[in-house]
Amino acid sequence: MIEAELKKKRISGDYGFFIFKLQEEIENPDAGQFVMLKAPDEPILAKPFSIYSYKNRELVLFIKRVGRLTGRIFSSPIGEIFYVRGPHGNPYVSSIDLTKRYILVGGGSGISPLNFFSELHPELTYTKLYGFKEGHIRKLFNENEQKHLVIEEETGHTVVDVLNELTSEEVGIIACGPIPMLKNLPKNAYVSLEAVMGCGVGTCKSCAVKTIEGVKLVCKDGPLFKKEEITWEWI
Amino acid sequence: MGVDLSIEVFGIQFKNPIVLASGPAGFGFELQPYLDFSKIGAITLKTITVKAREGNPPPRLVDAYGGVINSIGLQNPGIKGFITDIVPELNKLNTIKIGSIAGFNLEEWQLLVEEMDKIKEIPLIELNLSCPNIKGKRRWAEDVKLTQEVVKTARELTNKPIIVKLAPDVTDIIEIAKAAAEAGADGLTIGNGIQGMRINVETGLPVLKLKTGGLGGPAIKPITLARVFKTSEVLDIPIIGIGGIMNWQDALEYAMAGASLLGIGTAVMVDPKSPTTILSGIEAFLKRKKIERFRDIIGIAHRGGFSVS
Repeated sequence: MIEAELKKKRISGDYGFFIFKLQEEIENPDAGQFVMLKAPDEPILAKPFSIYSYKNRELVLFIKRVGRLTGRIFSSPIGEIFYVRGPHGNPYVSSIDLTKRYILVGGGSGISPLNFFSELHPELTYTKLYGFKEGHIRKLFNENEQKHLVIEEETGHTVVDVLNELTSEEVGIIACGPIPMLKNLPKNAYVSLEAVMGCGVGTCKSCAVKTIEGVKLVCKDGPLFKKEEITWEWI
Repeated sequence: MGVDLSIEVFGIQFKNPIVLASGPAGFGFELQPYLDFSKIGAITLKTITVKAREGNPPPRLVDAYGGVINSIGLQNPGIKGFITDIVPELNKLNTIKIGSIAGFNLEEWQLLVEEMDKIKEIPLIELNLSCPNIKGKRRWAEDVKLTQEVVKTARELTNKPIIVKLAPDVTDIIEIAKAAAEAGADGLTIGNGIQGMRINVETGLPVLKLKTGGLGGPAIKPITLARVFKTSEVLDIPIIGIGGIMNWQDALEYAMAGASLLGIGTAVMVDPKSPTTILSGIEAFLKRKKIERFRDIIGIAHRGGFSVS
């Protein structure tokens, strides 16, 4: 695994940006791909994190504090060494219709791969909607990014409500976020799934998702699927 | 001074004692970009059943801080799919392939052994009598008679070496190990995941959809290590030691307890390169101790340890 030194962090509540400097390059990561990240002294699995941004060995992750590993990342001092490997998973561009432009719909830490997508593929990006419950999140984003935020606490509207006003046949949808949000999307949406992963490369079969073509793996076959492909009751 | 890491067991020469345990490494193909298979002793392939299985609904895996609990549920393409889709690809993995099978009744065991016997790419067969993740089914390895029945059935149908994978969490593993050996097993794998669970305190519900699963990783190492030690004390049969080998020290403990081959499971998920890292650590240790052959340390804990000079 590659050493990743924590260089900077900006935190608000349970969300934060974390910038790691990697000792070696990871190979041409594209949006939708993820890295497996491990804490130095924990005898537990590495966990998948979507890439928010990557350039010159500088890896930016946007993380929600949910469990032990993310808690550890939040509380780590600058200079702490973590380990990463990747990129794993398939780039979104290998799964989507490249003749369309896309509304990128994120919920919580699900905005990560969408941000990377808009950075790498501005020509495929129609607009971005970043959904959060609480307004304190605003302080993590710069002036340009503020207009993409959809804060439920402020307007009473969810990101899907706003999407429904915008959407049309001509533009596609790529979404990443919590399962209830993904289930509420219009039919033609592409959904980027999160899953509990063991290996991240397709061997351990932990991140199974049932589709119309049988059981697939989020790490190896995804993370992007068509919404209609998924047997949602199974998840 | 070169170190000889090779070991001959079951009449087969392994270039070193590192074996990828059945499960976390799948059929090995996805690990190829990260792991040089020519450098490891063997891979035990994912367990095959008669019918294809889609496995259990997710979540199927949860961290247990010191271990990992999984309830994958033997997801596999079934014996037919295995023969058609997987076997022709196996020559891509430049290491010894151990076939792993699990039947739900004696007829199924029979069929699986017969089919495995025909596959020339697979020189050894592991009978997985101890998968902890099959809903509503008792594990074969919990019962002396059932263990004996399956091993006898298999023994009559193949001349390939048979390795029996036992459950570490049974009343008396030695009794079951003896039964397997008497019925004709050539070797034992000790062990498998130990049944475990986690509950999400916010929802008050089990985290895994199947509720319980098999706990593997560092948390179970002292338990399976003791089973390997105790079994090798009373039985002269090669053992593949498995359970929480995360580094070279863990691996050496199993060898010193009496295991001839060392199975790596959870560590492969954490870092696919870990088998070769562990092997380098073993090699460096042997050099430092001026021990020429890996096989000389197998069971050394039973023989008074290293002599002090």
